[in-house]
Amino acid sequence: MLSLIVFLPIIAGLVILAVPSSQKQIIRIVSLLAALAQCVLAVLIWQGYDAALPGITAAAGGAPEGSFQFIERLPWISLDLGSFGSLNIEYFLGVDGLSITMVILTALISAIGILSSWPIQKQVKGYFILYNLLSTAMMGCFVALDFFLFYVFWELMLLPMYFLIGIWGGPNREYAAIKFFLYTLFGSVFMLLVMIGLYFSVIDPVTGNHTFSLVAMASQENYIKDAILGPDSVMWRYVAFIVLFIGFAIKVPMFPFHTWLPDAHVEAPTPISVILAGVLLKLGTYGMMRINFPLFPEVFQASLFVIGVLGAINIIYGAFCALAQQDLKKMVAYSSISHMGYVLLGLAAANSEGMVGALYQMFNHGTITAMLFLLVGVIYDRAHTRQIDKFGGLASYMPVYAAVVTIAWFASLGLPGLSGFISEAFVFVGAFSAETTRYIAIVSVLGIVFGAAYLLWSLQRMFLGKRKPDAAYDLEVGPDGHEHIHFHDWKGKLDLDTRELVMLVPLAVIVIFLGIYPMPVMGLMTSSINKLVEVLSPVVMTALN
Amino acid sequence: MHSLIQISIAVLLLPLLSFVILIFFNKRLPRRGDFVGVGILGATFALSFYIFWSVVVQSYDPSFRIAWDFTWIDFGNVPGVGPLQIKMGIVIDNLTAIMLAMVTLISFLVHLYSTGYMAGDPRYGRFFAYLGIFTFSMLGIVLSDNLFSIYIFWELVGLSSYLLIGFYFEKDTAADAQKKAFLANRVGDIGMWLGILILYSQFHTFNYQEIFQNLADGKFDMSEAWLTAAGILLFMGCVGKSAQFPLHVWLPDAMEGPTPVSALIHAATMVAAGVYFVARIFVLLTVDALHVIAFIGAITAFMAATIAITQNDIKRVLAYSTVSQLGYMVLGLGVGAYSAALFHLVTHAFFKACLFLGSGAIIHAMHHEQDMRWMGGLRKHMPWTFATFTLATLALAGLPLTSGFMSKDAILAGAIGFANAEGGGIYYIIPFLGFFSAMLTAFYMGRQIWLVFFGESRTHLKPADDHHHGHDAHGSHGHDDHHEEVHGVHEVAWNMRAPLVILAALSIFAVYSPDPLDGAKGWFMKMIPTPETVVGSASGKAEHGTSSANHNAAHLLAEAVPAVGHSAETDAHHEGVASEVIHEEDSHAAGHGDGHGPEFSDPRQAAIAHEAHDAHKLAIVISSVMVVLGISLALIVYVFRFVDPDRTARAIRPLYLFSFNKWYWDEIYQATFIKGSIVISKVLSWFDANVVDGIVNGAGALTRRVGFATGGFDKYVVDGAVNFTAFFFNTSGAVLKKLQTGKVQTYVVLLMLAVIVYFIYYFTQLIY
Repeated sequence: MLSLIVFLPIIAGLVILAVPSSQKQIIRIVSLLAALAQCVLAVLIWQGYDAALPGITAAAGGAPEGSFQFIERLPWISLDLGSFGSLNIEYFLGVDGLSITMVILTALISAIGILSSWPIQKQVKGYFILYNLLSTAMMGCFVALDFFLFYVFWELMLLPMYFLIGIWGGPNREYAAIKFFLYTLFGSVFMLLVMIGLYFSVIDPVTGNHTFSLVAMASQENYIKDAILGPDSVMWRYVAFIVLFIGFAIKVPMFPFHTWLPDAHVEAPTPISVILAGVLLKLGTYGMMRINFPLFPEVFQASLFVIGVLGAINIIYGAFCALAQQDLKKMVAYSSISHMGYVLLGLAAANSEGMVGALYQMFNHGTITAMLFLLVGVIYDRAHTRQIDKFGGLASYMPVYAAVVTIAWFASLGLPGLSGFISEAFVFVGAFSAETTRYIAIVSVLGIVFGAAYLLWSLQRMFLGKRKPDAAYDLEVGPDGHEHIHFHDWKGKLDLDTRELVMLVPLAVIVIFLGIYPMPVMGLMTSSINKLVEVLSPVVMTALN
Repeated sequence: MHSLIQISIAVLLLPLLSFVILIFFNKRLPRRGDFVGVGILGATFALSFYIFWSVVVQSYDPSFRIAWDFTWIDFGNVPGVGPLQIKMGIVIDNLTAIMLAMVTLISFLVHLYSTGYMAGDPRYGRFFAYLGIFTFSMLGIVLSDNLFSIYIFWELVGLSSYLLIGFYFEKDTAADAQKKAFLANRVGDIGMWLGILILYSQFHTFNYQEIFQNLADGKFDMSEAWLTAAGILLFMGCVGKSAQFPLHVWLPDAMEGPTPVSALIHAATMVAAGVYFVARIFVLLTVDALHVIAFIGAITAFMAATIAITQNDIKRVLAYSTVSQLGYMVLGLGVGAYSAALFHLVTHAFFKACLFLGSGAIIHAMHHEQDMRWMGGLRKHMPWTFATFTLATLALAGLPLTSGFMSKDAILAGAIGFANAEGGGIYYIIPFLGFFSAMLTAFYMGRQIWLVFFGESRTHLKPADDHHHGHDAHGSHGHDDHHEEVHGVHEVAWNMRAPLVILAALSIFAVYSPDPLDGAKGWFMKMIPTPETVVGSASGKAEHGTSSANHNAAHLLAEAVPAVGHSAETDAHHEGVASEVIHEEDSHAAGHGDGHGPEFSDPRQAAIAHEAHDAHKLAIVISSVMVVLGISLALIVYVFRFVDPDRTARAIRPLYLFSFNKWYWDEIYQATFIKGSIVISKVLSWFDANVVDGIVNGAGALTRRVGFATGGFDKYVVDGAVNFTAFFFNTSGAVLKKLQTGKVQTYVVLLMLAVIVYFIYYFTQLIY
């Protein structure tokens, strides 16, 4: 099941390879079908998932069965390294409460991204092959339970992303693509070193061999006491934690490693922005929750305050930067930075409320930001500009668009009744309840006000009032006395067309539904988060020592 | 599930249904679906009235309370906490029942009224949809049984308010006003949210009742200051929503919304939600928090009244009057006059809604003229409006025989009692500001009535450019009849008149109390008794630990919240615990109410209640004098013209400008917070683009330099070394290969040579 959901897009990519590049429609449809099949599989996995099982670590006895679900485990690469022992890399997939929500999100956002890619005309074949490769890599990252396999998928994401931005992007695309590539690579090189160090420090309790299994690594009793990253090696464990954290923080992106994001977003085509903000950023915080924190819980506990402060900086700094932006897409990019700060803050709380809030925020940010970028794309397609000051009064002329924008914008500013509110609320609940992060939470609530400020201000400048004199569209008075507007060289429908509605309405429904009744998604994660909190708690660690 | 709960769920959801139907289908329905909105609201009111009837009239039990909840979020077995569930639920008590009836009645009347006022608007159907979601959210606030859900509905009314203030969003002033309202409310909301967090972090519940119980049991582990902070922070929500100083600036601007909205949201219901919320959390407010609340309320009441006297826009006068009256309610809660404050909430809701709808009728009839300077003489043209507006004005000014007199008097009596009980000093500022504002209220309302209804029409006096401005500002209203002359002013139709009459009728004393001079004899104040605090004022006094007072309070709370003792048993119990707690308190304070109002085990509350009761007659006298003074002043200035208002304004120009410019709060905020935020955002954005990203690009450039340098190093040194090595072995190989002859003789010779060399070496070693 998981193999299928991971490799379906690649299969579609292989099919596309056989299709002549002139058959653009077939290429698109094959990709869409694969993405829809992925969605169906995601729903099936969701239906078959038992939310009571905790995940995170192995069940009693050391086997992942009974804790993780939909496990697929095969030996992959076995090398005898002589005196170094043997290298055992496994093909090891499985889901728990951390990953299942991300699997659902990835399937959903991938499908919407394909719809959003429909108008792309440049080298369609190459585009969709790369897109499908990216889709596989993302899904693979979320379900891999072998560190090496995770690393392979992690690196595999870089390549298609680089080309998708570098070829199909805006005017400054090459700079943005290389910046993205190098930045992420910089983080992952160190991850490789830590991974190898971990391999030689951990023993699989069942086989007695060294292992890359993240499940085994998540239990501190599986560490060899005097190994390089064993419990006695305090300094190296700190180093490994920090290096891993930076690697994941770049992806989040966390201040001060965030500057690749606005550039990448501004240059990336709409669907790639959707993927980037909707899924890719979550890999950073997912990596922290799956790898960085449970493998080094004592370092995590010692770093709570720092992580919380960094989260707060993201929240407030991102909001202020968003307030100053003139380019709508850049504003949304900075809002992503701000909102991912809530995830960091929730993680720093290290309690169930905060971490559930963080993981739920990852899901909600995925859906809400996807909406935001799609909506930016809608207006950019028509006006060929994203300058906020080049509009005005759009609510009068594009009422449906304005209505959807209002929903998305208010979801983003955390209006109750929409999903973003619940996650932000529990991040604050958690962060305030934990004494370490209490004052950080108090400062961070300012983000609620400034978040509302930049969103409402942009809403007003673009949609309310009347047309600005230098607006990107012309005003015409029809024979019936009604005013219409007209974009230069835009032949399509003025207000949202069917394809755009098909992308946006499901997301809006999800955002509203999960804002009223969060349990369908939140219920999946609670037992895993409770387990994670337990694994990370200082009580468990002192018991070990 | 109790049948009243079921009905209340229907009451809650019906307006939401109205919203959903109208937002999607209003263009497909006849009359844009206004009958859906009015009909659903009528049904909602009928159901609410049934609840009101069952709870307040039939059961007539001051401690009536039913509750119901369901698990909304299940966190499972949380480490360190145990099973954790977040519940949502409904609570119905007397206060809820009264609020339900009040909100739905006014909402229904405003729906009805809007069918006339908004007729012809291009977004007519959407207007009713927005009213629907507002009513839903407001009822949610009223019915909530926990802090989390009240916060949700709190922000949702903020959303409805945002949408309705900006209903004419083409106007920049409206778009500015809606943004300002939302942001000012958000500032208040973050305070409220932090207050909620403080309480949640202690008890892991949002439910009022559980929080109160935990507090009463003394389970609050943080310091006393945190509890006070929690109270003040929660009160910040009220400061935002109820437009208290210093966040009051949004409410007058909110008058950009259609006038029915001003009546429903920005006068009668939503802005009163802040007061309602403070009443809900009243029992957990510490003495210090209550003091803050009382002063904020008094300052607000006074400040807004001073601004109202110089405003020319008919709605702005009413808006500042609303701010001022909300200040009274907050003041009332702060001084512990809980019943009186809520009484004023309800009476104010009716007469202020009547005033706003009346002003709407005037504006409608005057073709969107809002400036009172160009009105006058409308008494003859609009007799119904005149009569109802005047009655509501009398209630607002607080003349005897009106509802406003009773409630305002009760608050002011409470304020005097509070100041006496607290030992005077600066606490007398509160009743002083209260009485002074009462005079100002009478003055500005007298001025308004005179300018609008009496004298002769002054429409022709309006300067031409100003006239143009008026058109422009309100021209987008969809009416084509701007060109009519003003003598075409006529009374509004029945659907706008009926709400005025009903609301005016509800401003008469008899609705609330048989005794026009004493609201405390009426049903309202009996049904809404002041609850017993759960935090205990003893905590403020040094020797008695919080625990003993809390323990007593807990005991009482277990019996009934709100705790009222009328039975002999409870009385005895009260005295018992009181004697334990009270040592230094005056003995007369310890809970011998003479059958008049509730009694308290808490010594401070008991003292205030006692003093307030004693101050009742004094308050009547002072406030009557103040009202007469205010009205006389208005008569002197505007009717008899002994004093020319314009000349007076010139004589005290700085004061006049200070009032006319609303104490310059907008300018102050603009210069500090707004400018400041924008400057910070620009600086940080520059920092981001140049410093943070500069470092990244610098690192990139540096890496390139290093790359080129290593490239050179690689080419000349590393590669050179490699090439040298190759060259060396190549050459030496060419030389050495000559030795490899393959002949044994040569090898033997070489071997011998080697042995000789070795021996020579060996012997030289020996010698040295």
